[in-house]
Amino acid sequence: MVLEVKKPRALWEIIFSTHHTDIGLLYIITSITFLMLGGALALAIRAELFLPGQQIISDPNTFHRFFTVHGTTMLFLWAIPFGAGIGNYLIPILVRYKDMAWPKLNAVAFWMIPVGAAMVWLGFADLGWTAYPPYSIIRAPGPAAELWIFGLKILGLSSVLGSINFIVTMLKCKHPDLPIMKMSLFAWSILSISFMTLVAIPTFAAALIMLYTDRLGVTGFFNPALGGDPIAYQHLFWFTFHPEVYIFLLPAVGMLYEMIPKFSRKPIFSYQSGVIAFMLLSTIGFASWAHHMLATGMSFTEKTVFMVGTLAAVPASAMHVFNWVATMWGGRIKFAAPMLFGVGGIMLFFASGAGGVVNTALPLDFITHDSYWVVGHFHLILMGTVSLTFTGFIYYMFPLITGKMYNEKLAKIHWIAAFSGIIIVFMTQHVLGLMGMPRRYFDYLPLPEWIAMNQIATIGAWIVGFSYLLMIYNLLKSSVKGAFANMRDPFAIGEEYYDYRRKEPHKETH
Amino acid sequence: MAGHAMYEWVYIAAVVAILIWVGAASWDVERIIEEVPADAETIKVIGQQWFWSFEHADGTKEVNELHVQQDKPYRFEITSLDVNHAFNVPDWTLMIDAVPGRINTLWNMFTEDGEYLIQCREYCGFSHYNMKAKLFVEPAVTEAAAESEPSAATTTTTPPAQQQQSATQEQQPSSNATSAAAGGNATSAAAGGVTLTILDGASIQGNPDYDPDELTVKKGDKITVNNADTMPHTVTNGESGSDPTSGKLFDTSIINGGDSGEIDTATVDAGAHPYYCMVHPYMTGSLTVE
Repeated sequence: MVLEVKKPRALWEIIFSTHHTDIGLLYIITSITFLMLGGALALAIRAELFLPGQQIISDPNTFHRFFTVHGTTMLFLWAIPFGAGIGNYLIPILVRYKDMAWPKLNAVAFWMIPVGAAMVWLGFADLGWTAYPPYSIIRAPGPAAELWIFGLKILGLSSVLGSINFIVTMLKCKHPDLPIMKMSLFAWSILSISFMTLVAIPTFAAALIMLYTDRLGVTGFFNPALGGDPIAYQHLFWFTFHPEVYIFLLPAVGMLYEMIPKFSRKPIFSYQSGVIAFMLLSTIGFASWAHHMLATGMSFTEKTVFMVGTLAAVPASAMHVFNWVATMWGGRIKFAAPMLFGVGGIMLFFASGAGGVVNTALPLDFITHDSYWVVGHFHLILMGTVSLTFTGFIYYMFPLITGKMYNEKLAKIHWIAAFSGIIIVFMTQHVLGLMGMPRRYFDYLPLPEWIAMNQIATIGAWIVGFSYLLMIYNLLKSSVKGAFANMRDPFAIGEEYYDYRRKEPHKETH
Repeated sequence: MAGHAMYEWVYIAAVVAILIWVGAASWDVERIIEEVPADAETIKVIGQQWFWSFEHADGTKEVNELHVQQDKPYRFEITSLDVNHAFNVPDWTLMIDAVPGRINTLWNMFTEDGEYLIQCREYCGFSHYNMKAKLFVEPAVTEAAAESEPSAATTTTTPPAQQQQSATQEQQPSSNATSAAAGGNATSAAAGGVTLTILDGASIQGNPDYDPDELTVKKGDKITVNNADTMPHTVTNGESGSDPTSGKLFDTSIINGGDSGEIDTATVDAGAHPYYCMVHPYMTGSLTVE
């Protein structure tokens, strides 16, 4: 057992370590830190929107900077590094190798994240996280925009290096006794996103360079004044970032495959169907990018093609949901905190998936597009499904990392507050969108129903914010003063917990 | 998978069937929606930071107000001159991006008269939240009237109060300018009036905007506002749009590029009054009336 916090070590020993659990721990701590920082920005945004008119944020530019950095932080400094952190921690254990394939490369990939993060936060750009030209070329003030561009460049490179390491660890360093079709589904999820990262990221990396040279004025790729096309950027951007949605999501799917069978005390309903669904999602996910751009004036044929591409990705997600429900069906379920977060994540996954089908249905997209509906929709998947599941997994991994047990009662209060808060905020935002309120508004019309909906959403956001403070308190206190966990089976579910010394191939057969 | 596979296949088939139905129904509706009627009249819509301008088929131009006739098909040709915007009329579910260098089209027939909101739905910078215009749908003329007059005349029929307002607004600058000039000639005491210039390039944040920024006049002076920029601007009292007294003391309303407007200080209380531009709220200045 390697317990980073249990055995006191000098801080620099962890920081300069290349061991996968140390780097995993650094990833996890970094990502939770940025979750809290990004969350603080979100609470400021919600506080500003509590009433129409200008209140706490001094001017629109500051507000725009807040939502830009909030989005960039949550996606690239919370969702991606957290998935990578858990992957670092568990993949070598799950494939039974001593470490990642290239430990030093692993450390390099991690240490690029604080550098990229510093650039994004010190610049504090106002581009919106999508940085659409021409605004980002001709109007966005520098050097914030340049810092954002290079910050994202570094974060993208870090993802690519991490992905290469994961792929090689799983395909080349896996224990010879462990066939790939018996590898844990969590490992499959990381394998899928690693391949997706390698295919998806280079396109955006190229777009960032073009954006930068356009800003310098030496090229006009996306600048209509120089003969360029701003829509070309959107294609390059979404070719990366629609697959990226699955890169955020699939680690959470993999974590649910770890937690659901264990807490249901039943084997997975269908291992093969899980693997097939991963493969389907990671290929079909590349066929739907322009559904983010249906309102940019595409031809009817283009719109039809991307609607079909989008709908085609739905059955694979539905297969995962079926798999989880069928696994829980008839199981002796233990609703410990990780399971509660997992089940909450599945419920909201279903809700956001249904909302996604509405978005892609062509005539309906023009009601929801760029309105608060869309804000509610993608937060429901990223906060509801991805972050709730990640949070469940934080509790699930807590004994492995610290050797202690968290406070179950506080964790359950956290779940109730976070789950209900998320529903209050984001379901309300769906309604607000249908009422016609556009996203990225510093101020809104003082219509009574808009005010009411914004106030409900703000209160919901405060509940979520409070619940996560509770988690931080719980984690810090329990890691110092918590009771020692039973390391064979900390959740008392009657199955072996993760163990370095495990000699058997991973048991997913039935 | 073996014995249980049946359930999963049935489930997947059901999901696929629902998706095919959604896709086919959407495709069918969208196909019908996109068919533009042949007799639709074209209105050019231009989005700029942060106002909308409209040009009717007969050459009439409007800024931040659009007047259309009820029950008449219109085809909108939408573009932008600076950054991306999105032309959105939520009450009529009209929504398409305004992209510089491209012309996107939409069409609609407004079947109910009234006043509707036009807003921008694509992030476009500082005043994105304030990039609004008004859509006035005027009741259709009766069939008898339509028959007696040639159809082209319907567009020029004298509309209700709102359009008169906008018409006077358009004429205002020129008439004011002449009256100011006349006043200057009549009384030399007015010292030729006071001039406030909106400088070229003022619409870009950080550029010098009003000249002079701090203007001192005597109560009763008439201030001529010359817009030397290519963009429309206003001189409106108040700190910003959320200031409750905004526009209550003086307001030139929109002055197009190259035009001029006037502020009459006879009704303005003595003291210092901040002012700003409603289109570009970061353009600010101060007017002191003695």
